[in-house]
Amino acid sequence: MTIKVLAFAGSPRRHGNSETLLDWVLSSMAENSDVAVEKVPLTEANINICRGCNACEKLNRCVQRDGMDTYHDKIVEADIILLSSPIFCMGIAALPKALIDRAQVFRSRKYVLKLPVIPPERKGKRLGAFLATAGQDWPHVFDAAIPSVKCFYHVIDIKDADISYLMINHVDENGAIERHPTAKADTEKLGKTMIAEIRKRLAA
Amino acid sequence: MTITVLGISGSPHRHGNTETLLDRFLEGAQSAGASVEKVILKDLEYTPCRGCNACHRDGNCIVNDAAPPLFDKIMAADCVAIASPIYSMGITAQLKGFIDRGQYLWARRFVTKTLAFSPEHLARHKGIFISTAGQNWDHVFDGAYPSLTALFHDAGFEYYDNIVANNMDTWKGIKNHPTALDEAARKGQQVVSVLEALKKST
Repeated sequence: MTIKVLAFAGSPRRHGNSETLLDWVLSSMAENSDVAVEKVPLTEANINICRGCNACEKLNRCVQRDGMDTYHDKIVEADIILLSSPIFCMGIAALPKALIDRAQVFRSRKYVLKLPVIPPERKGKRLGAFLATAGQDWPHVFDAAIPSVKCFYHVIDIKDADISYLMINHVDENGAIERHPTAKADTEKLGKTMIAEIRKRLAA
Repeated sequence: MTITVLGISGSPHRHGNTETLLDRFLEGAQSAGASVEKVILKDLEYTPCRGCNACHRDGNCIVNDAAPPLFDKIMAADCVAIASPIYSMGITAQLKGFIDRGQYLWARRFVTKTLAFSPEHLARHKGIFISTAGQNWDHVFDGAYPSLTALFHDAGFEYYDNIVANNMDTWKGIKNHPTALDEAARKGQQVVSVLEALKKST
């Protein structure tokens, strides 16, 4: 069985530090022949912002027709969902925030309409990871992003204990991540650990 | 001289709970003699920050759209009230997209070092965050504050106060909230009095 990995690259800048982190995790995962990875740069995903209309609480779908039509289905189908973002102004960047806010349709399905987000037999068989970089060297620079990231994973049925975090501060200029002493090794370890864990879950 | 108060609504829809709370704040400010103006972010054309860091060279944003003129307007005001509902435990993508565009002000402060605010300037420029959330958790606003802090500090404002009301889902809207609207009106009046007193003291 193929392990499906869906990865959202959230930076407005292509191939920068946070996307490099994501690429490293993906290449570590893709070393396994049974893993299929798909990377979605949000700059090309055509995901509009949530209008806050709450129609999804009744319709069980979003009234907007855009890239989210495709990614909605891919989010449901994936076994592993990765999200990367740089920290801008102490928070997650606007593009990934738009994706997270559009996941409102899953929240409505789960908590308002009380319908399944994924088939019951796949419960507990999904993993998520948030990868972030920040220019600031403050250890608390990621704190404000995390609650929104948790929201995203919770509504798509990936529970708290199944979210991994790899957040690297003090990497500012383009390419700074390459010179970080542990980042690359950390991504390889994360990729391996997640694939081993999802294999175990899917076999159970 | 008249105190100027600028309200910015970061909600994607009009006249909802958050904008209503902002309106009440602005009415309070106006009743205390301030000149007030409201800007609706959703009616403006601007893109999120590209993260290109071009502003780190000369302190200017290379993207010419509605964002830099709005930062000019913010910096010309005595008081700015930024309003956003909480979506997924944070401010809206609309407001975050705008705040991130203020990176060029940060660059002026810390890279080109062409912008600095004295403690007196900060004391005379008050920033207020206005928000509502459906959730009843007390910590539902916590993820929003750090980005507002960044905006206020880079534009030369003291982060003066929050006017926040959670649990909208239970109250069935801000109009049924027992205290929030009155609090907003009172705080609108008060901040104008405080700013007037500060102006007279020079």
